[in-house]
Amino acid sequence: MQSRRVLLAALMAAVLLAGIPAAVAGPAYPAKAITLIVPYAPGGSTDVLARAVSQVATRHLTVPLLVVNRPGGGAIPGRLDVVRAQPDGYTLLFGYGSGEDLFVPHQRQIPYDVLTDLVPVCRISIHSVVLVVAANHPAQNLTEFVRWAKGREQNTAAVSTAGGVVDVTLRLFAQNAGFKVTPVPGTGGADAITRLVGGHADFGGGHPSEVLPHIKAGRLRPLGVALERRDPAVNAPTFKEMGFDVVTPGSVKGVAVPKGTPSDVILYLAAAFKEISVDPEFVKIMKDIGQPIMYQGPEEYKVWFKQAFEQAGRLVAQFK
Amino acid sequence: MASFEGLLQGFGIALSPVNLLFAFLGALLGTAIGVLPGLGPAATIALLLPVSYKIGSPVTAIIMMAGVFYGAMYGGSTTSILLNIPGEAASVVTCLDGHQMARKGRAGPALGIAAIGSFIAGTIAVVALTLVAPPVAEFALKFGPPEYFALTVLGLLLATYLSGRAPLKSLIMATLGLLLGLVGLDPVAGVPRFDFGNVNLQGGIDFVTLAMGLFGIGEILLSLEQGVIGTIVTTTIRDVFPRMTDFVRTRRAIVRGSVIGFVVGLLPGGGAVIASLVSYAAERRASPHPEEFGQGAIEGVAGPESANNAAATSSFIPLLTLGIPGNASTAMIFAALMIQGVTPGPFLLREHADVFWGVAASMYIGNAMLLLLNLPLVGVWAQLLRVPYAYLAPIIAVITLAGVYTVNNTAFDIWLMLVIGVVGYLLRKLEFDPGPLLLAFVLGPIMERSLRQSLLMSAGSPAIFVTRPIAALLLIAAAIFVAGNLLAGRRRRA
Repeated sequence: MQSRRVLLAALMAAVLLAGIPAAVAGPAYPAKAITLIVPYAPGGSTDVLARAVSQVATRHLTVPLLVVNRPGGGAIPGRLDVVRAQPDGYTLLFGYGSGEDLFVPHQRQIPYDVLTDLVPVCRISIHSVVLVVAANHPAQNLTEFVRWAKGREQNTAAVSTAGGVVDVTLRLFAQNAGFKVTPVPGTGGADAITRLVGGHADFGGGHPSEVLPHIKAGRLRPLGVALERRDPAVNAPTFKEMGFDVVTPGSVKGVAVPKGTPSDVILYLAAAFKEISVDPEFVKIMKDIGQPIMYQGPEEYKVWFKQAFEQAGRLVAQFK
Repeated sequence: MASFEGLLQGFGIALSPVNLLFAFLGALLGTAIGVLPGLGPAATIALLLPVSYKIGSPVTAIIMMAGVFYGAMYGGSTTSILLNIPGEAASVVTCLDGHQMARKGRAGPALGIAAIGSFIAGTIAVVALTLVAPPVAEFALKFGPPEYFALTVLGLLLATYLSGRAPLKSLIMATLGLLLGLVGLDPVAGVPRFDFGNVNLQGGIDFVTLAMGLFGIGEILLSLEQGVIGTIVTTTIRDVFPRMTDFVRTRRAIVRGSVIGFVVGLLPGGGAVIASLVSYAAERRASPHPEEFGQGAIEGVAGPESANNAAATSSFIPLLTLGIPGNASTAMIFAALMIQGVTPGPFLLREHADVFWGVAASMYIGNAMLLLLNLPLVGVWAQLLRVPYAYLAPIIAVITLAGVYTVNNTAFDIWLMLVIGVVGYLLRKLEFDPGPLLLAFVLGPIMERSLRQSLLMSAGSPAIFVTRPIAALLLIAAAIFVAGNLLAGRRRRA
């Protein structure tokens, strides 16, 4: 009788404890799983990229990369978690270079300094901004859309987060084309696209990996891309070739760690991400989801980030 | 027949050795915590949340958690029947007739019919879920911000009024939950709120911390205090396979219970507890011999035990298609899905077909496993009631502490959870149900975000909530519900 009781208790404990890892870290890095914090809801372009990286990471790192979504609060709390984390290389910010890093600091106060509290590890990809409408929208192209929008008192736009790249890009476009826009932000790209597909916004914007599945399924129509040159993944002209001088860098997807992280840890991580960026499986996944691979190492990315940050400041200053 | 193809694919997933194992573990754990008074499915799923980070696949994690949820519905009746104490909340009403049956030496048939009724209702509900969920998901696309706002308002009101006998106390809990949901950076502009200058609070209160404190620590403290929980009527259980006459007498109760449970589980704020209460009332009304109720009427066991299982299953429909959890347990599973990178909502069925169909198929299998676990082995589960709580409580406490720490690796969360745990204990002592608090904590941010999005869409005009038909209907339903309750309350007082 006694043994059965102990057995039952032990069984329950074993089930519950199965997933709890050893809390003691060994001397060599990395000694335990590394957490990638994605500050957006699952299903958006950053999340999709993080999951692609973590899928192939097992071949290039001795420990697993765990993707943890930390959405809400305009994507700032997730970043704050990383800023506050131990600088030991076990908590990484995934998506460093997105609108919240390049554009938001120019628009409102945030509780940390994006240039000094976070240290870049590398850049992995850049996601362009695509202007899309629901498939049943009367406008077949960008010119028709602008004419349609100009005749209206208000145009609502589904955007991922307030002050993010999609938000800024669509506002710049509306200002340039001369129509009124009310951006409606949410928890990330996935949420914005769901609202647009459901017909709860007049138009919207998203990154290729978010809009492509719906474009293929015939639920959305792409009208323009805010890049200098066309995005090979999207069958749509640039704003520029349609006569609207709006070019934004897109949403940059890099990796960062809290300040104070040892430089050998940063170099180790950068080397691993560089290997991942040329892994054939990763290259294939990225092609399938419509994201370009644009790797840059820590030093290079730091310089590039600073320039992009200043350029974003000049773009934001254009708002009247 | 898309459902059929999906289900075939789902069985392919659910029958893989790993998923079978986790479905079994979930069913086993669910039955165990269903049997043990104090620890309910919501608390257990909360304890499993940190573990779900470590299980690589979302299907596997949700299969296990779903197993815990409906497994508890099976286990709960055992304690109600043998001890006259509900093993978990949805088996409260089973005490009435189940325990009387046990005292008359009919514990076996009571346990047997509870398990068989649960199995039949669970299976009927899964079949209905398979057929109903895809069209509901399609319809869910019509839900924009105004509809989500109206739905969360209605859901929260229903959950609050229906969850306990004291609506005022539930309203206080729901309000507290809404307030706690406001802590942190606001969802649109990212401005800090209620953080008292503490950076640890700027990211908001973590769901796992809140859930484990309220349900894990809170329930342990209360159960420790209650100490020895009574004596088992009998440990020798005979005749678990009910007689033919029992079957004939209960067949309508089981079918009615399944239907009632399925419908109640669909409602926002509905769930297994309410379903079992409604079913009991319906059986008493329908019975040709209502005087037997409370004296050991087998329909009074069969109906509610069927209803709570059907409701547990059907409450997955609003969760998976709309992304709106209706009760504390599905709120936990909502959090688990997000942790696993799956957003519950209209596109879940399309983008994560493996998750939906895998979980649905596992429910067919899980119900069969539970029937085997609970019919022949019911005597073993009765023995579980003899494990002193003094052994179980420290184990659960350690798991809770370790679990909360692994989420963010901050000691702050441990302290916060302990404080919340003490609050949870006090709330239970004062007979406040923490369920509405947790549900409001999950629904609050959705409600706030959709309210603000709606007002942006309408350029500030609240008319948007009445000019859109679905939103208007939902809000009218909420208004009628509140008005009805106020009137009923006034009449009682007069």
